[in-house]
Amino acid sequence: MTIQTLAAGASASTAARGFRAGALVLLLLLLAAALPLIPFVVKVNPYILNIFMQAVTYAVAVLGMTIVLGYTGQIHLGQAAFFGIGAYTVALGTLVLGLNFWLALLLGVVLASLAGFILGLTTLRVGGHYLAMVTISFQVIFDLILTNWIAVTRGPDGISGIGRPSLFGYTLADDKAYLMFCVFVLYLVIFGVWWLPKTRLGRAMQAVRENEMAAEVSGVATLVVKVVAFSLCAALGAVGGALYAAGFAYISPDNFSFKISIEFLTMTLLGGSQSPFGGALGTVLLILLPEWLRFLKEIYMAAYGLAVILIMVFMPEGIWGIVSRAWRRLRPLRPLAHGPVEPFKLDFPLTDTAPVLQLVNVQKHFGGVRAVDGININVARGTVHALIGPNGSGKTTTLNVLNGIYRPTAGQIIVDGKDLTHTSPHVRAGHGVGRTFQNIRLFPALSALENVMIGAQRAHNPIERSESALRRRALSTLDFVGLLDRADRVVRSLPYGHQRLVEIARSLAGSPTLLLLDEPAAGLNQTEKQELVTLLKRLRGHGITIFLIEHDMGLIVQVSDRISVLNFGRKIAEGTPDEVLRHPDVIAAYLGESVHAAA
Amino acid sequence: MSNLSLNLQLLFSGLAVGAVYSLVALGFVLIIRATNVVNFAQGDFAMIGAFAMVTMLTALKLPYWLAFVLALALMTVFGVIFNYAVYYPLRNRSFLPVIISTLGASIFMQNAVLGIFGPQPRPLEKVFKTPGFEVAGVFLDSQYLVILAVTLIAVAFQYFFFEHTLLGKKLQATSQDKDMARLVGIPVAWMIALTFVYSATLGGLAGILIGPVLFVSIGMGSTIALKAFSATVIGGFGDVTGAIVGGLLLGVVESFGAAYISVPYKDAFAFLLLLVFLLIRPQGIFGEKISEKA
Amino acid sequence: MPLLELRDVTSFYGSVQALKGISLRVEPGEIVTLLGANGAGKSTTLRSISGLMRPASGDILFDGQSISRLGAEAIVRMGISHVPEGRRIFPGLTVTENIMLGASSRGRVPKAQLRSEVGEMFAIFPDLERLEKALGWSLSGGQQQMLAVARGLMARPKLLMLDEPSLGLAPIIVQQLFAVIRDLQQRGMTILLVEQNAHMALSVAHRGYVLETGNLTVEGSPAELLGNEAVRAAYLGGARPNAAN
Repeated sequence: MTIQTLAAGASASTAARGFRAGALVLLLLLLAAALPLIPFVVKVNPYILNIFMQAVTYAVAVLGMTIVLGYTGQIHLGQAAFFGIGAYTVALGTLVLGLNFWLALLLGVVLASLAGFILGLTTLRVGGHYLAMVTISFQVIFDLILTNWIAVTRGPDGISGIGRPSLFGYTLADDKAYLMFCVFVLYLVIFGVWWLPKTRLGRAMQAVRENEMAAEVSGVATLVVKVVAFSLCAALGAVGGALYAAGFAYISPDNFSFKISIEFLTMTLLGGSQSPFGGALGTVLLILLPEWLRFLKEIYMAAYGLAVILIMVFMPEGIWGIVSRAWRRLRPLRPLAHGPVEPFKLDFPLTDTAPVLQLVNVQKHFGGVRAVDGININVARGTVHALIGPNGSGKTTTLNVLNGIYRPTAGQIIVDGKDLTHTSPHVRAGHGVGRTFQNIRLFPALSALENVMIGAQRAHNPIERSESALRRRALSTLDFVGLLDRADRVVRSLPYGHQRLVEIARSLAGSPTLLLLDEPAAGLNQTEKQELVTLLKRLRGHGITIFLIEHDMGLIVQVSDRISVLNFGRKIAEGTPDEVLRHPDVIAAYLGESVHAAA
Repeated sequence: MSNLSLNLQLLFSGLAVGAVYSLVALGFVLIIRATNVVNFAQGDFAMIGAFAMVTMLTALKLPYWLAFVLALALMTVFGVIFNYAVYYPLRNRSFLPVIISTLGASIFMQNAVLGIFGPQPRPLEKVFKTPGFEVAGVFLDSQYLVILAVTLIAVAFQYFFFEHTLLGKKLQATSQDKDMARLVGIPVAWMIALTFVYSATLGGLAGILIGPVLFVSIGMGSTIALKAFSATVIGGFGDVTGAIVGGLLLGVVESFGAAYISVPYKDAFAFLLLLVFLLIRPQGIFGEKISEKA
Repeated sequence: MPLLELRDVTSFYGSVQALKGISLRVEPGEIVTLLGANGAGKSTTLRSISGLMRPASGDILFDGQSISRLGAEAIVRMGISHVPEGRRIFPGLTVTENIMLGASSRGRVPKAQLRSEVGEMFAIFPDLERLEKALGWSLSGGQQQMLAVARGLMARPKLLMLDEPSLGLAPIIVQQLFAVIRDLQQRGMTILLVEQNAHMALSVAHRGYVLETGNLTVEGSPAELLGNEAVRAAYLGGARPNAAN
């Protein structure tokens, strides 16, 4: 099916579907805008207004969790502290320093973002459980300061008399008006958080969540992304806290304890951590439910804890996740027409005769084990250079050192004349080093298109920086590997052979001068292997330099210009396929020595 | 009180409180080594043990030693339930759902106890009626002496059990290489259940010992757990000796910190020390930098 | 009746098919070797037999009984001992303790008997005796391999499965190891040997199979396999070696 027919055939029904979808969205928007106007029309109990005010301000903080936990996959158990920073800054700023609300709010956001920035920096050293502990420590220290620094924070007595802000000269003293204001802030935040995954940053965050190493190797500056995620999360927490303080006029340390952080976490998880709608839904549910179940007050918190376990076991993607999946099954996504696609552009002039890659006396020792023991290899531009050797000979270690996943114990890695020995993987990607993994590291929950776009967004990629240029680049790369019609499929649902192609496409979209392939044929059947050989030959025709590890000798012979053979961490032979595969040392290394009579 | 006596006093009480942290930290480390799970509900085992003792002594009016044995027996049952309800369903998932699940268990345990006992902290009897005795200007509280003695016995027992019994070796093997343990025929699921039972009992023991000093309250477990976790990291994550040393060190630092620096911020020392270690020497005092294998 | 039989076994790693319908048999008292390049599926075959993985289809029969649905602990008890790739001795336990734990599948064994069996192992692997109190991680590769085999033997298996025992070992150690393997077979042990080192394996085996990306391509005696182009092709893609040796 050619691209043109795909486009033409789909355009008619697409237009019709587009119109219906647009009408639906408009209707929902009108409903949403009307919602906060209800209390002006119908008499609502002030207690109910308070409940919703709590729900709305909490939801803003929970949306911060959506960014850091849902999008970026980092555990965070201290959101109440950021909520508290916002609240206390507004309280103290307006009452003690005499600032107006907006200035105090800004100050609170800045302070919280700074704290979030520092917290994000700790992820350079810690992850997983340790990160959880760091966030808890942060929360507990904040709590202690709130309770004990009585001179500033008034301690357990709290602060009362916090005033409402003025908007366009009109003070929002009326609860209904203030609630409406908060709801619109929430809508704005929901929109922002909803739009984030469609941006470079949002995609990078999801890449970090899905597979941090693959993200790093594809050019995502993972530390920067995590720091930004924590800063944004903190900022939103502060906004929520500020609104909360002005809303309720009274705050005390109790409102910002570890317990509240856990509530934020549970709301995020219950609603669905990866969607802002889920976050809002979870918040509303967990605030309203206890009110309705107040007769169960004694045990509802206990049930709360039980619910967290059950959610993790049975519905880890939350309510919104379940709803979206059911919706997807009822109305499956038909492949979107992407319009005509540009041909894949990747050409390197072959005039430069310097080697693209130089491994100079590279060594990598693990304790006493010399996995790589002094390797010297030059890879000529525009060639396919293979690295082979029996199991345990040091091939993957060499590739990992090349890539920046390991730092070499000694030696240098020079790519295109630049010494990249001490750089991190994403910096190397920025210099045109692309890589695939033996056991395929894609971003499983993202579509093929999104996966490839992440490769395209590597620093210094010689294409336009706009979102549409990234998309076009990704589409033409997918077309080049023959998967254009799978562009919108979630990669984890693709068959293995196609996943391999997506991984290669992801590297290609980054215009690599040097493409590192780690056992690209692993797990492929004969047909798929032949297709891979054809692809590699086409790539060679474009002037890309390829450095690959493989065990399938048949494949290597067909594509390689030169082969280096490793054994016990040293190079034992190098040359053309013919020379190398007849070499007695090589045969001995692979098939083993014959048994000699004991001397 | 002379300066030396004061410092010795601080050292003594610091070691005693630290010993309690060590007991909880030991439970932490054993679970981590066997299952790779950080159990955020570990401290609540202490809380439940303490409440169990309170019930047996005040409501059921049992003699101390009987109550003690029954409370520990209750903790072993608890460990079994915890293993099957919280760990087992999630044993093959990544660490995030498991952490959150143990957090959920913690909330559940605290609020279930709240529902049954109410929010008021309860006093718990000391083991011996005598308040203690004085030696060289230092007052040795009898409960602190009991804590140190019992911790010593527990550590000795643990050492003997793990180093000199076959079952202890099987537990060690399970925590070193689970799949290989299966291949030699060790019933790994049972070993893990046993680990949880043992950890729960250690936790309960810690609660019973520190209860008379701290007052038994719903939140006592959370604070102890966080400090025990800090102790684990400081001592060397995953190292048994490290957990013990880390706990004692932390107790002493807190004791001196409260006296010389500030009382209300006493709890902060644990976390500040934790942050310092995490950022400067994440492998702790005894941990080794594990070099990545090819 | 063969001691071990695989009938059309298929197996998957996630969405990748690692075994595509393997049928093989091991007769009592034989050494059978499974050869093939890296990634061919040799380890997967052993893991499917020992219960670390479950086959997707097909059947595995041991002594006539189907074991494909049993767990690893049960399979060890039935008499199959798997010495996996990479040695995997318990690093924090001593040599003696590692060996003793090998008997875990046999139920309660009196301490005295265990100790005498450890002595038997030292007779087979004399190098280990002076290391009896050394911790696992401190042993060299060759010593660890010997220890792993000793541990595997303590289960008193009917079938011993060795996964790439020569991996990463110096040639002289490999010779010693294979002398032990030959000796064990002569004492009546049935052995299924997975090896990348085809020459060594074929020097001790009675029969061999060649695996290529999940398919069994060749079966035969060592002489047949050594002369067979297909074996060379499986490893080196059809290039013909120099007529040396």
